[in-house]
Amino acid sequence: MASKPSKLMIKRAGILLALVLVLGFGTGMVRLAKLQLIDGEEYRQKAELQQLGDSSVQALRGTIYDCNGRILAQSATAWKVFIDPSNIKVNEKDKTEDEIKAELEAKRRMVSNGLAEILGVDAESVYEKSLKTTSGYQKIKGEVELESKNRVSEFISENEYYDCIGIEPDTKRYYPYNSLASTIIGFTGTDDVGIEGLEYKYDNVLTGIPGRVITAKNGTLGSMPIEYTASYAAQQGTSLVLTIDETIQSLLEAELEKAYESAQANAAYGLVMDVETGAILAMSNQPDYDLNDPYTILSESVLTEIDAIEDPTEKNEAVSVARQAQWRNRTISDTYEPGSVFKVITLAAALEEGVATKDMSYTCVGGIQVANNYIKCHKHEGHGRQNLQMALMNSCNPFFITVGQKLGVEKFCEYFEAFGFTETTGIDLSGEAVPKAGVTYHTQEKMGISQLSSCSFGQTFQISPIQMITAIAAIANGGKLMKPYIVAKQLDEEGNVIKETQPTVKRQVISESTADTVLGMMEAVVSAGTGKNAYVAGFHVAGKTGTSQKIGAANNQYVASFSCVAPGDDPKVAILIAIDEPVGQINGGQIAAPVAATLVEEVMAYLSVEPEYTEEEQTLIDVAAPAVTGRTVEDAKQIADDHNLKVRVIGSGDNVVKQIPAFGQTMPRNGVVILYTDDRAEEMTTVPEFAGMSLSMARRSANDLGLNLKISGNAFSGSDILAYSQDISKDTQVPYGSVVTVYFKSYSGVSDSIYG
Amino acid sequence: MEKKKSSLLNGKWVAKGNFDVTFLLIVLALLITGLVMLFSAGYSYAYYKYDNSLHFIIRQGIFAVIGVTAMLFISKINYNYFRIFALLGMGVSLFLLLIVFVLPQWKEGFYRWIAIGSFTFQPSEIAKIAIVLFYAWACEKWEKEIKKDWKFALYFGAVAIVFAGLVALENHLSGAVLMAAISVAMLYLGGFNKWWFIFGVGAVMALIIFFVANPDLLKEYAGERIVAWLDKDYDPRGARWQTNQSLNAIGSGGFLGQGLGESKQKHLYVSEPQNDFIFAIVCEELGFVGATAIILLFALLVWRGFVIAMNCRSKFGALLSMGIVFQVGIQTILNILVVTDTIPNTGISLPFFSYGGTSLVMLLAEMGMVLSVSRASNLKK
Repeated sequence: MASKPSKLMIKRAGILLALVLVLGFGTGMVRLAKLQLIDGEEYRQKAELQQLGDSSVQALRGTIYDCNGRILAQSATAWKVFIDPSNIKVNEKDKTEDEIKAELEAKRRMVSNGLAEILGVDAESVYEKSLKTTSGYQKIKGEVELESKNRVSEFISENEYYDCIGIEPDTKRYYPYNSLASTIIGFTGTDDVGIEGLEYKYDNVLTGIPGRVITAKNGTLGSMPIEYTASYAAQQGTSLVLTIDETIQSLLEAELEKAYESAQANAAYGLVMDVETGAILAMSNQPDYDLNDPYTILSESVLTEIDAIEDPTEKNEAVSVARQAQWRNRTISDTYEPGSVFKVITLAAALEEGVATKDMSYTCVGGIQVANNYIKCHKHEGHGRQNLQMALMNSCNPFFITVGQKLGVEKFCEYFEAFGFTETTGIDLSGEAVPKAGVTYHTQEKMGISQLSSCSFGQTFQISPIQMITAIAAIANGGKLMKPYIVAKQLDEEGNVIKETQPTVKRQVISESTADTVLGMMEAVVSAGTGKNAYVAGFHVAGKTGTSQKIGAANNQYVASFSCVAPGDDPKVAILIAIDEPVGQINGGQIAAPVAATLVEEVMAYLSVEPEYTEEEQTLIDVAAPAVTGRTVEDAKQIADDHNLKVRVIGSGDNVVKQIPAFGQTMPRNGVVILYTDDRAEEMTTVPEFAGMSLSMARRSANDLGLNLKISGNAFSGSDILAYSQDISKDTQVPYGSVVTVYFKSYSGVSDSIYG
Repeated sequence: MEKKKSSLLNGKWVAKGNFDVTFLLIVLALLITGLVMLFSAGYSYAYYKYDNSLHFIIRQGIFAVIGVTAMLFISKINYNYFRIFALLGMGVSLFLLLIVFVLPQWKEGFYRWIAIGSFTFQPSEIAKIAIVLFYAWACEKWEKEIKKDWKFALYFGAVAIVFAGLVALENHLSGAVLMAAISVAMLYLGGFNKWWFIFGVGAVMALIIFFVANPDLLKEYAGERIVAWLDKDYDPRGARWQTNQSLNAIGSGGFLGQGLGESKQKHLYVSEPQNDFIFAIVCEELGFVGATAIILLFALLVWRGFVIAMNCRSKFGALLSMGIVFQVGIQTILNILVVTDTIPNTGISLPFFSYGGTSLVMLLAEMGMVLSVSRASNLKK
């Protein structure tokens, strides 16, 4: 039955085989060649477009730290929500055009209202974006935090809006200290680009390298298991470590704010510099702004002014101007006439050149004739015969005009330039005011006797506060002009130091001995001259007051300033305080010096600088209350006596059961410790209003009321010092023996201007 | 050998002689490549659907072992005894093809599966081999009659039409096409008058052109497939989604491919990438080079099957061998033409590659039959 394949079958097998191989497999291969080799790129792009719909991962910006590693600015992951208007569609099957239109409208409203509710954006603006059907991407909101992002995700999945609404990674900048150092740090815009301050200046450094995620999506927009994701991690930007010390910055800001408010000033600004390195420890402008909310104007007085404007255009303009003003770093961008503070520069130059000596004497008769002008001294009756140190203490203008004239135009200009007043300091912040020859200061060619005379006491030219404090620091550190800086280190993602700023000495301006001499004279200014309100026991504060009328401004607008160095015998920090357009008291010695005093006291304590008291000061320094609780009354009296303290015993027992002030609390030497010998309630007393009292009046009042009086401020300047503030407000009920700190300042002999 | 051949009824059930190693090597090469590609293409979908990346490959692996065992066992059977199954197979197939109409539908309007426990299989899988066996047997038995008597031609043709028709009624268009193609090939090789084919091919061509031109006359499902094939922009997220994603995958492969395991399109873009569209993932991962190599392997299989047939000592063995490899070949070709969007998407799987346990076992059993035939052929092995 079986037979071999017939010839016909062999022939037909051959034909069929050829058909299958050539026509079948051949066609398949030709098709593959077409799809893969000819059109491959096109399909690959189509495929990638859907697979890599969103491939960029934003890099976190670098962190900004203070010198102790406290975080001043930090970025965190956030999200960006967008819509794809081109994909907001409805099923068009079996529907009329009107039905489709209505359904589309309803869907757009659903999307808009839903997103508006979750993200707190305007529903109408979202709706308008949803009408841009040719667009595939309309950003709704960036910097969306996790909670809101999760709600958007739920909204998408509940309504199956996968094609219409998208979420992509974003970052958000946080400023943990809100307004602290705001004008230094600056802020970023919504696109994570720095637009003010260090955020702007160091934008390139702080900005990281974006990462890529390949295959973030699968075919149903679900999340892909991680092993299918090829990702190139985003590289965080470089972090900055500032020279700013958060503690000192806070102290400066608190004091400046008080001064700004009490002087009803236009602004107040201050700087604290490490004199050895030129590092800025603190730098502030008041009023400032909240970095987390930079567009809101914080100053209430400015807000009141803006509210008063009725015209909407003008109002908007005023708001914009106010914003720019609160963002402005006045310590580097503004210029002012330094006034009498500048006398130390004239003095240093004259001493260095030998045209003036300590023994030089001159008699001030209340004014001096310069060319065709008679320039008055602020003390109309004249200071009489003074030596150089007394002239500085009195801030005598005719004396310094004479010194300046002796120095001559050429030398004056030489030192003016040497101290850095004709150039920017080069601080690593943007917006530093650039000195302009012939505009902000006199050129040598155009400087006549009149200009030289007024320049000698700091008038008719303008400098920036950063220039002034850098020059003061040069006097404090033995004559070296430093390049100020604010970024100490740059750190990579792991915290390794990749760049460290080394202090830069620009030049030796004056000799060390000249610098010491000037510093000594400045110390006298504080201990007995116009700067006495900057006195802080134990720290030999060396300073100079200044009060200048503002050029170009309306009449009677002044800048009151004070610059000092502490400790005077071993300078560590230089401080400059300036109050712009104060109302009422306008002298630097009256309103700026007390700010510096408080600051010196606090900063020295923070930096653990040991005070060195003079014998006179020893009698007034404070002591810590000893532990006497539990002792017999006799023992307690003995211990108190050893500490230069007195006691007052209340009760009938033999042993002390309670003491006020408590153990360890700071109290004045010769103060009274109240000892209770039984369990009775504490006896109370009422704190009086000390403001306006003289030292002796305050002491008497405190004594009468059973309070311990702690004195802050200059207690040695004679009978003309008066209390102006106290730490416990009046009418507060406190136990007997409580310590009240009262701040004193001098109201006479601190004026250095002809105005106030 | 001569003795054995004549002693059919002496009970020499065990085939003598060696099987064709070349054919076995081609089969194993295809099987192993297929399993590797199934794992690569299917793990992502398996992960999403079953939360287990190994879901498909473990099941397919088990069936591959069963299938290879069955293949080796069948290859030991003297192929002459397969004649027994010629009519038996037809009867069973007919029964199964009819019974699906009364079983619960797998999907609205679809009758093509039978479920036994958790396993499902398509009666058409059995019908395909049954019809090969039947025609091989019948064309040998009535060798002379079919050349002379036109009534025989009608009877034979009627069998093909009944089977293909039943499969078509199950809404399994590709199965019906396949069935028809196999029948035509068998009758052609069996020695039917060439005019039948000239007339038949002409009629089929006319029919195809008619339906392509009037797709709405077909059932909605099949009709839409044709529309989606003609209109490349038709319903991109629906009817054409799978094809478009397949083209993206194939195109992405380029000349050298993305690399084994590196397909992106298998991550829920190409629907059911372990199934009918597995070849698209193969193209994406292995590129034109790899895809062509695999096509050549299939071509080799077909060629070797024909060589075995030409060296066979019986018409039955020759027709059986050719019928089986032709069936694998035509199915492969149709599958490739579907994934490359050359013909409408009809739902046809790729032998050795696509996921499906019962069909793999059936396929390997058929390979066993070819090996059995090869034992008795004059081929240099």
